[in-house]
Amino acid sequence: MLTFTVRRLLQLPLVLFAVSLIIVGMMQFLPPSARAAAFVKSEQQLAHIDEIIKQYHLDAPFYVQYWTWLQNALHGNFGFSRVAKKPVLEAFAEKLPVSAELAFYAFFPMLIVSIWLGTLAAIHRDKLIDQIVRVLAVLFWSIPTFVLGIALVAVVYGYLRLFGIGRLPSNLIIELAQASAAGKFHYYTGFLTLDGLLNGRLDVTLAALKHLVLPALTLILVQGAQLVRVMRSSMLDELGKDYVRTARAKGLPDRVVYYKHARRNALIPIITLAGLMFAFMINGVVITETIFNLPGLGQWAALAAVQLDQPAILGFALLTAVIVTTANIVVDLLYALVDPRIRYE
Amino acid sequence: MAELAAMKPQRESFWRSRVWKRFRRNPLALVGTAIVIFYVLVAIFAPALTADRMGRNCLRDLGLKRSEAVRVLRNPLHPVFWRATLAPPKSCYRIPRKGYSPVPKPPSKKYPLGLAGGGYDIYYGLVWGTRTAFYVGILVVGIALLIGILIGGASGFLGGWVDNLLMRFTDVIYAFPGLVLVMVVVTIFGRSLTTIMLAIAVVAWPTYARMLRGNILKTKAQDYVDAARALGAGGLRIFLKHVLPNSIGPLIILASLDIGSIVLSVAALSFLGLGPGVGFADWGQMVNFARGWIVGPPGEPLKYWYTWVWPSLMIALFVLGWNLLGDAVRDALDPRS
Repeated sequence: MLTFTVRRLLQLPLVLFAVSLIIVGMMQFLPPSARAAAFVKSEQQLAHIDEIIKQYHLDAPFYVQYWTWLQNALHGNFGFSRVAKKPVLEAFAEKLPVSAELAFYAFFPMLIVSIWLGTLAAIHRDKLIDQIVRVLAVLFWSIPTFVLGIALVAVVYGYLRLFGIGRLPSNLIIELAQASAAGKFHYYTGFLTLDGLLNGRLDVTLAALKHLVLPALTLILVQGAQLVRVMRSSMLDELGKDYVRTARAKGLPDRVVYYKHARRNALIPIITLAGLMFAFMINGVVITETIFNLPGLGQWAALAAVQLDQPAILGFALLTAVIVTTANIVVDLLYALVDPRIRYE
Repeated sequence: MAELAAMKPQRESFWRSRVWKRFRRNPLALVGTAIVIFYVLVAIFAPALTADRMGRNCLRDLGLKRSEAVRVLRNPLHPVFWRATLAPPKSCYRIPRKGYSPVPKPPSKKYPLGLAGGGYDIYYGLVWGTRTAFYVGILVVGIALLIGILIGGASGFLGGWVDNLLMRFTDVIYAFPGLVLVMVVVTIFGRSLTTIMLAIAVVAWPTYARMLRGNILKTKAQDYVDAARALGAGGLRIFLKHVLPNSIGPLIILASLDIGSIVLSVAALSFLGLGPGVGFADWGQMVNFARGWIVGPPGEPLKYWYTWVWPSLMIALFVLGWNLLGDAVRDALDPRS
């Protein structure tokens, strides 16, 4: 296990090196003046682009540029985002909790519900419940995230007047801004649902939760559908294996055979998929945040892309790569922990 | 001669094969096929379906007067019918506008699906958007397949460190959130349909490369490959004549079924405003038009339902059709089921 862990961890810098090479490589297609924006630290500097081109060797060969860029990036300088009106790293740090909170409330319920439904469908193969789950899964799998999001906004928020759009109701946003300036409200974690509790403001927690329901539901339905399908077929595979028949022949109750024997093994592919799901979730977050007006990473990235705010997009891509590859390595390690066969591959 | 022909090993006819039987018996497969055929027909006959509402530039480029448009474009005996159907001028992909009012207009007799904000005819946009969808889907799958075949082929054929390097590179791209990478490409190379298609192809190929590599490794272990080698065939000849043709079949089928999800990605990009430019007939953009009108004024929250319901349905049904079809084909090809 130790060598496996070390080998996997050694891959992290390699992958990041590759990603950064790709990204800096793509920057070469931009004119030097546009590339310079990646080294700007404040709005005032935008007026002195020529000096920056000289200072950061933006007219030098690729390897020199890459080296300069790398030194800057390692010092946390990813340039200035016009859209956020802040340095890229600062904007990223400010918006990360918003997206992480959404992902948190979407990811775990999705995992639990889809494992449950997938198992249920597989156990009752070809019965009514299986048919319903399968049809629903293929339907939600086919609905684009933005279509489902818009439908929820129009019908649930607009027509039924339930839940909310944005992160908080506007009066609470103003109140919190004042309270925070006066030192009466502290952003300990950036997760509003948690900060509300820590500051003893239950109303903030509840309001934040209310505003997370629809975006989280969108992500759960669209992405969970795929997970249900995989869980079902993985469970069916396991149920067809000899050890399940042996367990039955021994006279074990169905419940034990299903949940103790088959499901444990059926969960193995789900771990891999959950890792990939994490990456898909970032795609979904870009769209849901745009629709539900959540001021997170996704909304920022979407706006930055539309307004050609290159440093923001490049920084966002690179920092996302860090998160995604780390998540994948964690998943790989989990995988090896659960299934010892993997370690010897 | 007849005897010789009879001695040739008979290939099992497709119509009698187990794959086709399994496919045919699956009711969802038939639903999927029907949906996809519906869209193919809409795409082909787009000019005839919209003959009464063509834009001015499109009519001019076709050399038609408005009064004769319906008669000509719905008459298969007229040469302009074929020109409009097979190679319509670019201007026909621009959605004609009825006025410039920013407020959407509800469905009427002339505009059965209503007008989006800016006076864009929703019906026209959806019908011609079907053409855009197929165009983009087929081309992107083609480009992605080409990259995938080159990289997966090189990886499987050459093996060793080349394989290792190419596959690690594939892993990097594969693990990266596709939309983010596409956004990077689009911001750098500028917004246009071509950039978007290239960007999505750049994200989509790793699945194909991996699949082809796996198939090649399996095929390479077959006896006939050893036989060819024993007969003195060179490496490249073995690869091109024996290994590749026997590894590539399922890949092409499965890739062609990705058209649905590719169109979905394009629609998502267009929805975010990274699409092929305002006024171009494309489904994602039609949804984007609706963005400001999802929730109507107080008291009438669903007042502008037509702005988002029709384009959403059009996209979702298209993806559903391809997904059903894809599922059925995968099931039919899977020997375990």
